[in-house]
Amino acid sequence: MDKLYYRLRTYRSVVGMNIKEILAYNFWFWSQVGAHILLTIAYISFWKALYSERDSIAGLDMQQTLTYIILARIVMPLVQWGYTQEFGFWIREGTISSELLRPVDFQERIYIGHLTRTFVSLAQQLIVVGSLALFVFKISLPTDPLVWLSFLISLLLGCSILFCFDWIFGCIAFYSTEVWGLQVVRGSVLLLFSGVLLPLTMLPTALQTIAKWLPFAQSVSVPVSILSGMTPLSNLGSIWLQQLAWLSVMFILSRLMFNFSVRKITVQGG
Amino acid sequence: MLRYTKLYWYFVIQRFKILMEYRLNFFIGSISTVLFQGASLVALWAVLRQVPSIQGWTFEQILLIYGLLTLSKGINHLFADNLWVVGRDYIRPGQFDRFLVRPINPLFHLLADRICHDAIGDFIVGLSLVSYAMVQLQLPINLTSIGFIILMVISGGVIFIALNLITAATSFWIMDSIAVTNVVFHTNEFAQYPLTFYHRSIGMVLTWLIPYGFASYYPASYLLGHEIGWMAWLAPVVALVCITIAYKGWLLGLRNYGSTGS
Repeated sequence: MDKLYYRLRTYRSVVGMNIKEILAYNFWFWSQVGAHILLTIAYISFWKALYSERDSIAGLDMQQTLTYIILARIVMPLVQWGYTQEFGFWIREGTISSELLRPVDFQERIYIGHLTRTFVSLAQQLIVVGSLALFVFKISLPTDPLVWLSFLISLLLGCSILFCFDWIFGCIAFYSTEVWGLQVVRGSVLLLFSGVLLPLTMLPTALQTIAKWLPFAQSVSVPVSILSGMTPLSNLGSIWLQQLAWLSVMFILSRLMFNFSVRKITVQGG
Repeated sequence: MLRYTKLYWYFVIQRFKILMEYRLNFFIGSISTVLFQGASLVALWAVLRQVPSIQGWTFEQILLIYGLLTLSKGINHLFADNLWVVGRDYIRPGQFDRFLVRPINPLFHLLADRICHDAIGDFIVGLSLVSYAMVQLQLPINLTSIGFIILMVISGGVIFIALNLITAATSFWIMDSIAVTNVVFHTNEFAQYPLTFYHRSIGMVLTWLIPYGFASYYPASYLLGHEIGWMAWLAPVVALVCITIAYKGWLLGLRNYGSTGS
């Protein structure tokens, strides 16, 4: 009898432990969502206060700006961090050696994985932040499927450009073996020049020029402007051409950079 | 008390030795906060340069609020950053037991274990913003105003620490509290702007429930000469009440603590 009791008690802990483990990850997910929602509310309130005394800022009215901002909040979690962290991890832990030995193209495999995570995250954000926009802030999202399709294509191109940029950027880790600093620089430049905080047309001309020559706007400002109606669909041709040009340059550079710097590799303790 | 001061000093020196081993990280950590806040501030400036004010608040006045909040955040960042990870780094791997067998207060030990130098960035940003705003707005800079700011920043810092302590204490029950701390902590972003920007209920929450408003909006309003009466002086009281409740909660959790058994 005692033995049975003992075993039951043990298993109760095992069950409890597993539930805690599951909850820990679930909690973390919902906590991220919660924090993101709080920030979105704070941000939207700021813009509403800004528009309460005037009709337009930099030629944009309240509805346009709010739509842009809320959509940028949806895209932001997809691009915020990139995967430079993983580069550092592969190099520090030495797993890069086995990653490189697999019989599929390394970059391609990482790209597919990255894209999957990006679009799963997009779906999550659309559901959570999208319903917040609709039901709390009464911001109407576009209903035309053609606009959504154009947005998705542009976002796919933008995220691929950013992927190649991050790849080049991650290669620096072969030399520095330090990634936290790289992440900080990338993160703060992205914050200002990608258009996650404000429509880029609100920046002073000099900063707008810098934003144009950095790849970050391609993944946020460009697709979000399409979806929020700031960019007319008739411009799509030239936008996609530009994005394709960005992508080809970035892709070639990322290949060259990787092939060049992979020779530098030192597998630590491998 | 003297013993704890001495001990804290030893912890600081040990920490500093570690940091000096990794000088690059030390530098990067310090400027990381400056970079991120710089990006947000440039964006704020870019928008506000096009308008004279928002609901009566000018760019400089908002900077004063932002700066005060950043200083309070810096105090929490410097002294109590370990509260974030008490679950992940101490309770879950069983490291917390270490604190319980030593003849000093476990909370003191936890906080002293990692003094976070990244806070230097917060102090640089906060100090620059507050001084810039004070000068631009031609507010009196004298012993009274400086004393008031110091008192309010310390109170604000204690409010930050208290809220993180309450949420950290939940890890005695749920193992890892980062998720809980994360949500509560992020409400401080509301306090970066005047509370009048928000729906009245949000203002109430940030004053009476999660009182980050006392770290920024109320002291800034007082410095700017707005009529807010005794609310201007309430921050130290709120801070004391918060930290008392938080410490009680921590002790309750500590009694509930059963080790990992590993």
